Amino acid sequence: MNEEYDVIVLGTGLTECILSGIMSVNGKKVLHMDRNPYYGGESASITPLEDLYKRFKIPGAPPASMGRGRDWNVDLIPKFLMANGQLVKMLLFTEVTRYLDFKVTEGSFVYKGGKIYKVPSTEAEALASSLMGLFEKRRFRKFLVYVANFDENDPRTFEGIDPKKTSMREVYKKFDLGQDVIDFTGHALALYRTDDYLDQPCCETINRIKLYSESLARYGKSPYLYPLYGLGELPQGFARLSAIYGGTYMLNKPIEEIIMQNGKVIGVKSEGEIARCKQLICDPSYVKDRVEKVGQVIRVICILSHPIKNTNDANSCQIIIPQNQVNRKSDIYVCMISSAHNVAAQGKYIAIASTTVETKEPEKEIRPALELLEPIEQKFVSISDLLVPKDLGTESQIFISRTYDATTHFETTCDDIKDIYKRMMGSEFDFEEMKRKKNDIYGEE
Amino acid sequence: MASATDARYGQKESSDQNFDYMFKILIIGNSSVGKTSFLFRYADDSFTPAFVSTVGIDFKVKTIYRNDKRIKLQIWDTAGQERYRTITTAYYRGAMGFILMYDITNEESFNAVQDWSTQIKTYSWDNAQVLLVGNKCDMEDERVVSSERGRQLADHLGFEFFEASAKDNINVKQTFERLVDVICEKMSESLDTADPAVTGAKQGPQLTDQQAPPHQDCAC
Repeated sequence: MNEEYDVIVLGTGLTECILSGIMSVNGKKVLHMDRNPYYGGESASITPLEDLYKRFKIPGAPPASMGRGRDWNVDLIPKFLMANGQLVKMLLFTEVTRYLDFKVTEGSFVYKGGKIYKVPSTEAEALASSLMGLFEKRRFRKFLVYVANFDENDPRTFEGIDPKKTSMREVYKKFDLGQDVIDFTGHALALYRTDDYLDQPCCETINRIKLYSESLARYGKSPYLYPLYGLGELPQGFARLSAIYGGTYMLNKPIEEIIMQNGKVIGVKSEGEIARCKQLICDPSYVKDRVEKVGQVIRVICILSHPIKNTNDANSCQIIIPQNQVNRKSDIYVCMISSAHNVAAQGKYIAIASTTVETKEPEKEIRPALELLEPIEQKFVSISDLLVPKDLGTESQIFISRTYDATTHFETTCDDIKDIYKRMMGSEFDFEEMKRKKNDIYGEE
Repeated sequence: MASATDARYGQKESSDQNFDYMFKILIIGNSSVGKTSFLFRYADDSFTPAFVSTVGIDFKVKTIYRNDKRIKLQIWDTAGQERYRTITTAYYRGAMGFILMYDITNEESFNAVQDWSTQIKTYSWDNAQVLLVGNKCDMEDERVVSSERGRQLADHLGFEFFEASAKDNINVKQTFERLVDVICEKMSESLDTADPAVTGAKQGPQLTDQQAPPHQDCAC
């Protein structure tokens, strides 16, 4: 490793691996290291199950009822891919799809008055849903048609709404939508965690609803995809891409020092050796003095032996508990997957409940979600800090990713990747830049 | 249009139905034992003597005929990730056969075979087949691992064994063909179970960049 690299990357989380892949494909010489003996950092899927018990300091070995330990791949951070979202676009442009298999998540549900309902997002589903009364349904349908036709580049589709000025609150008013409909539109379709969006210009909200319905239209059952063997396969796929284009990978490497000269990074010291670099990408855990805490997320991994009640025995689903249903400021999410995704032993389900921490008693905050999951065979609770870089890295040339937030998809992760790319390269991110620059499959006609 | 229940052959070209089976095969072993050379000799019948660490190859494709069946082999390279033992677990997924390779002139590469075998058993499908190959058998003068030791280790691990040379084209084709036969034998044994892995079928929907057709909901 006593060499000069263009870019050194520390940590093999998804953000770092995607950036590493982009840099290698574009001819940069990349050294990618992780202090852990496994790939993925916080976005790893832990296997075998014994390792998860150790990690959470659960005394004793998993009981025999949990089956074979190596049949488990348990995500630490629950997320799904939006079928029409940015991560799928990145997977397609890089052709990392070659290394992965996906399944469509079977259902998307929303919590109302102690019960869960399927999220209606097409006109037909909305008309059939018991969430709304008849007149409400008609108005909601009109709203969905408007959203489907909306194109931010075509003023003819605005119908008197100014996407950059009109607030979403005013848009809801224009379509005469009631509080319940506003709740699930904002939280279960636009996937906002709080109500802050209501007084902001409506353009982003409308585009988020479009993303939801276009994702749903892809495969039908839900807008979400999930990779077989767990989310930890995603960073590994991009790591392989980076390696094919010359990236060097080292795991189990303790990082002793980030070496600076005149306020700019010049290298990294590990096990007494120094690798030199021009730029550094890392996750917050490698540069604790350069990040600040902006909040906390609680995540509770629950192992179940049954599908979640009232989900038609779905082998995978998402449940959103909108904040004002449980008198909170931010939503609670449940992501559930199962043995059908090669992440759990036969007949087992993994449900992960998560939310942004608002009080001193986060475990109490998340209780409404856990009540939907009972009986729970084993719980693994984590409370993690949300860390963000203190500066843009312009001077230090150290580019720090943000901690994975409480959202249940990868859109904010992709925004972070695009933003880091822009700061590093000085030009706007372009998906085209991710395309493989030469043929790397041989023998195909 | 993709549907969630569609099982498809192949990795990327869902329209390519020009084969009966597709097998994913991996070549694994220490750096510079000759994995890439072995792959090039088999797929292209070429050999480049200069040592270049593997960069730029994802996999090679070769279609062969066995028992009147067209079998498409997808032979994956390690992308150089074996050097620091950082091969991704994702690489092992869905592989039906392995060529575990060492260099008969390099003791260390032979000593690492046990480790690689453990990796295979940990991360691959239970029925994956493995052949042990001692490469560079043209370099008899520099040999440090006797054929006997190779054979004994293979017996101990339960693998079939070949010595081969990518440079002199010795036993290269035979190795791949034997591996394919072993996979086919295993496949006919377990045909009743119809495991999708055995046909290389993709389980989920094919991701595409195309928009789904708009929904035609009734307007009531």
